[in-house]
Amino acid sequence: MFAYIIRRVFSGIIMLLLVSLVTFILFFASPVNPARLSCGKICSPALIEQNSKALGYDKPMIVQWGQFVKGIVAGREFPEDASLRKSAPETIATCPAPCLGYSPLNAETVSSELGPRIPVSASLALAAFVLWMVFGISFGIIAALRRGKFLDKLLVSAALVAYAFPTFFIGLFIYQFIALKWGLFPVPVYTPLTQDPLLWLQGLVLPAITLALVYLAGYVRLTRAFMLESMGEDYLRTAKAKGLAPRKILFKHTLRAALTPIVTQAGLDLGLLLGGAIITEQVFNYPGVGKLAVQAATTYDLPTNVGIVILIASFVVVANIIVDVLYGLIDPRVTLA
Amino acid sequence: MTKKTKSISVIAAVVAATTLAACGGSSSGGSTGSSGSASGGSANNASASKGGTLYYTSNKPRQTWDPQRTYTGEGISLEGRLFSRSLVQFPVTSDLKASSTPIPDLATNTGTKSNGAKTWSFTLKDGVKWQDGSPITCADVKYGTSRTFATDVITGGPNYILSYLNIPTDKKTGLPVYNGPYKKAGQSYFDKAVTCSGKTITYHFNKAWPDFNLYLAALRAGDPYKQSQDKGNNSNYTVFSDGPYKLQGTWTKGQGGTFVRNPEWSSKTDNIRKALPDKIVFQEGVTPEIGVQQMISDSGTAANTVTTNAIPPASFSQITGAVAKRTINPQSPFTEYLVPNMLRLKNPKVREALAIALDKNAYIQAGGGSKMYAPAYTVTAPGILGFKKNATFSGLPDSGDPAKAKALLKSAGVKMPYPINLTYPGGTPTSDKQFGAIAAAWGQAGFKVTLNGLTDTYYNVVQKAGSTWDVCWGSWGADWPAMSTVIPPLFDSRPNLTPTTTGQDYGSYKSAAVNKLIDKAAAQTDVNAAAKIYDQIDAILGQDYAYIPLAIDKFYRINGSNITGYVNNPAEAMYPDLGGIGVKH
Repeated sequence: MFAYIIRRVFSGIIMLLLVSLVTFILFFASPVNPARLSCGKICSPALIEQNSKALGYDKPMIVQWGQFVKGIVAGREFPEDASLRKSAPETIATCPAPCLGYSPLNAETVSSELGPRIPVSASLALAAFVLWMVFGISFGIIAALRRGKFLDKLLVSAALVAYAFPTFFIGLFIYQFIALKWGLFPVPVYTPLTQDPLLWLQGLVLPAITLALVYLAGYVRLTRAFMLESMGEDYLRTAKAKGLAPRKILFKHTLRAALTPIVTQAGLDLGLLLGGAIITEQVFNYPGVGKLAVQAATTYDLPTNVGIVILIASFVVVANIIVDVLYGLIDPRVTLA
Repeated sequence: MTKKTKSISVIAAVVAATTLAACGGSSSGGSTGSSGSASGGSANNASASKGGTLYYTSNKPRQTWDPQRTYTGEGISLEGRLFSRSLVQFPVTSDLKASSTPIPDLATNTGTKSNGAKTWSFTLKDGVKWQDGSPITCADVKYGTSRTFATDVITGGPNYILSYLNIPTDKKTGLPVYNGPYKKAGQSYFDKAVTCSGKTITYHFNKAWPDFNLYLAALRAGDPYKQSQDKGNNSNYTVFSDGPYKLQGTWTKGQGGTFVRNPEWSSKTDNIRKALPDKIVFQEGVTPEIGVQQMISDSGTAANTVTTNAIPPASFSQITGAVAKRTINPQSPFTEYLVPNMLRLKNPKVREALAIALDKNAYIQAGGGSKMYAPAYTVTAPGILGFKKNATFSGLPDSGDPAKAKALLKSAGVKMPYPINLTYPGGTPTSDKQFGAIAAAWGQAGFKVTLNGLTDTYYNVVQKAGSTWDVCWGSWGADWPAMSTVIPPLFDSRPNLTPTTTGQDYGSYKSAAVNKLIDKAAAQTDVNAAAKIYDQIDAILGQDYAYIPLAIDKFYRINGSNITGYVNNPAEAMYPDLGGIGVKH
């Protein structure tokens, strides 16, 4: 088991390095010159060149990537200018490891941009995750147990309807009608958990419901399908024949087997969401990673874009490793070697 | 500044169209400087009283609070009214002429020029202080200017002064040998170019700068900065106030912050800012779609709110009755225009036919109608000193005359249909519809138009020397209300055209006569005399069809019902002028 985890972590690191390289090449090879972006309106070629040098964009791509990776491991300073460090050290921005770069557009390290936003996205993702897992799996089980009955049809149809609506529609509807027009719920505002847990929860309710609704629909269908598949397995017939209690058969045998693929999907979904729920954060003005991603993309803030991609990739890779480890715990048929 | 370059760069601003601006003004030409519907809500004329909390909402995050880095109309306006006083400033007014006339702020007068406008002096008022109670000194003003020279540290700000201050340039790079207060190379040159004598600061230029005080009033680059507070790039969101408000706590990008009264500021030394609200709360990240619903409902804090978010066209139908009275619809300082590629459209009759067939009305209609645009007749905005409609374009019908254009095209002896690659910043259904409308009218005139809508690569394409587009789109707003910040940046081929780029002279327009007149205008010691020469230049540009004016952008916003003292001030680029706004409480 331990060796397996080590192997998975190692391959995860390789994967992240590759992701960073590809992202780096894609963004920095784009026709948008980041040095031009930081140069002001009337910008002579000499000024662009000077800025390019100050920001390190004059170096070969592979050298820039090497420095980027070094920053993740050992941290960096911006700008890396010896003469400035000597004459005005207070102007140097220190970026401790894991340093994800520096945004000249915002005059801030990407890590410090992301820092306060990760708890926002994590709060939203986890709240939505709890909602869709609890209700999605419960409804899926009910639908499977009542296969072909009215309740099954109702739940499956409702799931399909919810699935058909895009997130921005659900979000805008909830925001405009439930919060603004009908005043049934306070307008959601993010409050840090450490500041006021009650307000934190209150602010999360509507955005989390929005996010959960879309995922919930998929999980109802997923759980129902895998439950039905498990229910047809031979070992369940044996369990019934042995006279095991129906509840025990459901939770110990049927659900446990059905959970494996659901956990896989849930891990990936959660990993991705931890990196920001772009539309939901945008609609509810939640200052999370997703909202920063939109801002960075629309202002061509390339270093921030690269940092966000690495962050999201990290979450997905870590979630994958956790899921792989959980397999062994959930399904006794799986062995980790 | 181009409408789509109002951020810190030409490229970045393709998507920042409605948030960022430069200085200068615009209006429909009326004495109020505003156009369209009501000028600020039913409470506009309510008696101004101090107190209350004002809310200021916007969508995009502010990129800096550093006076020397700020280059957006909104940022310049906010800093000037809240915490960064200048030697001279523009008043709180909607009057077109008054709004472009500087008045003393930190200085005792609007400056004394000598030596053929190559030398300017200002003397600081007594009793002006920073938020820590220390006096504002000549050294602080000088230090502020010095920061602009650190172009690799204080990035993105206006850099006009680099080419004016009497400092030698590096022969290799062409940049000044002085590189700012951090590395201090060439410090002695700067110390000679900007001198302090007691409370008097004197600037020595290498050429005449008759509108230097307009530059000081319109931008924050010449504002004082206290050296002890300066951490270069690390001071991006540092606010150290000498104005009526100071930042409470810290600024959180994407969320905002709160400004409260600065007890060290005194109205005795400041007759510009009324400083009415006790507190001003900035909320960033409010999307127009959601924000407008809050503003229409006018409930809670929305009643005390001003916003820079435009009313989305989808919500126009909700703007009726009392809600409509709370809207403002002024012309922005930004003019959109089309640029013929002079290296490809060499036949002047072809360019003229394009101008004659241009259907501005269809473009405006496709873009949301008269709430969003007004037709333009020159490249400059009405608030600019010496503004005059260009005679070449003012006589053309707003809906175009395709029949006349077709006849002209035939007489040009070119093969018809004449192929035109129309390149524009696309990516939205609206922009595609707008340029589709232009193409339709040109099609009737005998052109075969290929639409080329680009997104993030737009300026890379149109600024590339030797590009293959025939007509492209441009937008510009003056940095200060003088044509010296419009005509030379756009049409002086010498600094713009290099072997690799066209700079802002997208169409590669090159005219010895125009360049000569630009030099003549720059040598004037009087801004009015310079304006007359720029009018001559604009006439030549029209005759050459170096550009074709398209539309003036308009702002369409809504205020809360408790807002008082709202004016559409061209000097503040039509952003909410916090120098006079209050709240009923």
